[in-house]
Amino acid sequence: MKTDRILLVGDNAFHGISHLSQERAISRGKNLFNPEYAAGLVNTALDNGADGFMFSVSDMTLSIIRIVCAHRKPKSVKLYAIVPYVFEFVRMAVTEGGIPGLSKKIGKDIIISANFNSIIYGTKGLITTDPSSLLKAYLLYEESRIRRAAGKGGDLSSIFLHEVVSDMGISLNLEWLFKSHIELLQKRGIKPGIHTHNLPILVERLNEWRIDLDKIALTTQFNSLGFGMTPSREKCEQVLQDIQGNDIIGYGLLASGYVKIIDALKYINGLPQLKTLALGISNEQQAKETFKFIKREINIY
Amino acid sequence: MKIKVAVVGLGKMGLMHSCIFNMMDDVELVAVCEINGLVRKFAKKMIPNIAFVENLEELKIMALDALCITTPPSSHFLLIKTSYEKKIAQHIFTEKPLAINNIQAEELISLASRTGGVNMVGYHRRFSVTFCKAKQLLESGAIGYPMSFKGHAYSADFLKAKTAKQAINRGGVIEDSGCHVIDIALWLFGDMEPIHASVKTIIGEDSEDEAYIEVKTAGGLIGELNASWCKEGYRLPDMCLSIIGDKGTLMVNEDNVQLTINGIKNIWYKHDLNDVVPFFIGGSEYQRQDQMFIKAIKEGIKAEPNFYTAAKIHKMVDAVNLMARSQNNENR
Repeated sequence: MKTDRILLVGDNAFHGISHLSQERAISRGKNLFNPEYAAGLVNTALDNGADGFMFSVSDMTLSIIRIVCAHRKPKSVKLYAIVPYVFEFVRMAVTEGGIPGLSKKIGKDIIISANFNSIIYGTKGLITTDPSSLLKAYLLYEESRIRRAAGKGGDLSSIFLHEVVSDMGISLNLEWLFKSHIELLQKRGIKPGIHTHNLPILVERLNEWRIDLDKIALTTQFNSLGFGMTPSREKCEQVLQDIQGNDIIGYGLLASGYVKIIDALKYINGLPQLKTLALGISNEQQAKETFKFIKREINIY
Repeated sequence: MKIKVAVVGLGKMGLMHSCIFNMMDDVELVAVCEINGLVRKFAKKMIPNIAFVENLEELKIMALDALCITTPPSSHFLLIKTSYEKKIAQHIFTEKPLAINNIQAEELISLASRTGGVNMVGYHRRFSVTFCKAKQLLESGAIGYPMSFKGHAYSADFLKAKTAKQAINRGGVIEDSGCHVIDIALWLFGDMEPIHASVKTIIGEDSEDEAYIEVKTAGGLIGELNASWCKEGYRLPDMCLSIIGDKGTLMVNEDNVQLTINGIKNIWYKHDLNDVVPFFIGGSEYQRQDQMFIKAIKEGIKAEPNFYTAAKIHKMVDAVNLMARSQNNENR
């Protein structure tokens, strides 16, 4: 039976992440950090039922995209990007001298990128100390990196603010952050996305700020264990019911391998509002079978 | 009545604590103190409804209940001392380490005891569900009488560092991440002292990048602790402790707890241990840690780990550094 759900390949394994155990991430081996090998897995997944790739924007994932999209039909790979790649930013903040050092590094990268609009926004942001302009400069810089890597084969569907940024935004009431992000991406013809660990609070804040949920995409964890679902599985599911019809992408369905795929499917079948699902892969067999299996079986369980 | 809190330092830890406090119903995040003018200028525009000040003493007029200090370790002593002496806030939470050595730590303990109020240090691993489960298993006698233990704190933070400048600024791997494994060992096994220690430079310029410590507890238990921030494969910092008892073994890290008795292994993942908080940012253990600080203030109880506990870690670290330096001098 066919499903109309969009299935995306997640990138955690290519960054050495396993939320089940770090030992497991290490034991997967170094192959996964080789862009050629990782791109091979993504290509296999795309040939076997996956519709696109969801990734944090890093040198590694951009290399993967460059390889994958080079041999695909125009606009055939849906790309869902998450910015910034927080792990790298935190590492740089540690090794480059805190937030001022990190800001200098990003500023330098933007100048080197020679992205005219990004430089204009960045300069304006610095002169007028306007955080919204700086955010736009950064988003334009990331968009240009993704488009350059994707070429014609990629279809940049959405750019999400990483959960650390958006959850900071909801806790510190940074209405401007969400509005600037949405405004810029809408102008660019890209669906604005928000990645969160706190779905119910995020939706409450967006409603308070009168941000139209129909115009944005949200992504958060959904699994039968309630793992990573704050403040509880029930509250996250309730929000999903309340905002049905909106573009919600569920990830973490297998809770990093803790949940069996059949159990994950049974759970997901109870949540028809989740139109898009992202799943990680870390080997050839998973790349071949996971998405094909989900497409075939999703409506059976 | 809400607890009025100010955060000192707007780096990544300062931002995270600001977010956590601002989401608590019984807390009012009143101000942030940040010395960097440019960061302050942008922060004022970015974050509405919170005051930003340059100097600690500007916080005095705000009638604060508590301070949360997240600046670099070398500044902790002076900030805490000034806060007590100028009566800026009665209750103090500081990110680890408490100070840069035990002499400073002891002075802060004495100041804190004269001032009263709650004091707490951010050894957040104690609030991780897996380490709490391990402590519970150990105390219930699940592995019988502990015979030896081994622990590590590894990361790849400086694996690709081109210079040692930032590593040296962070004070060395024992003070930076090794102190977490020392804290957990003290928490699980009680007082201990080093019997052998060595420190290695990897990046260069006398940075302290790898450490090995052999310890003996007051009860005679022998353990081994390792720390490195140049470890390949450790994308995320990893802390692990393995304990051998006369009835079985226990292994705990950030992700899971493994109990092995007669060859049968039981594993509890975070997923099994109700790792749920009302608001998640950075890690659930930080939320629980800050909740404990606020609860201690409201209920007038002692928080743990406090300055006294943190001073024990300093005592260990000072002894290790002394031992390692004399060892290195002998080798030269």
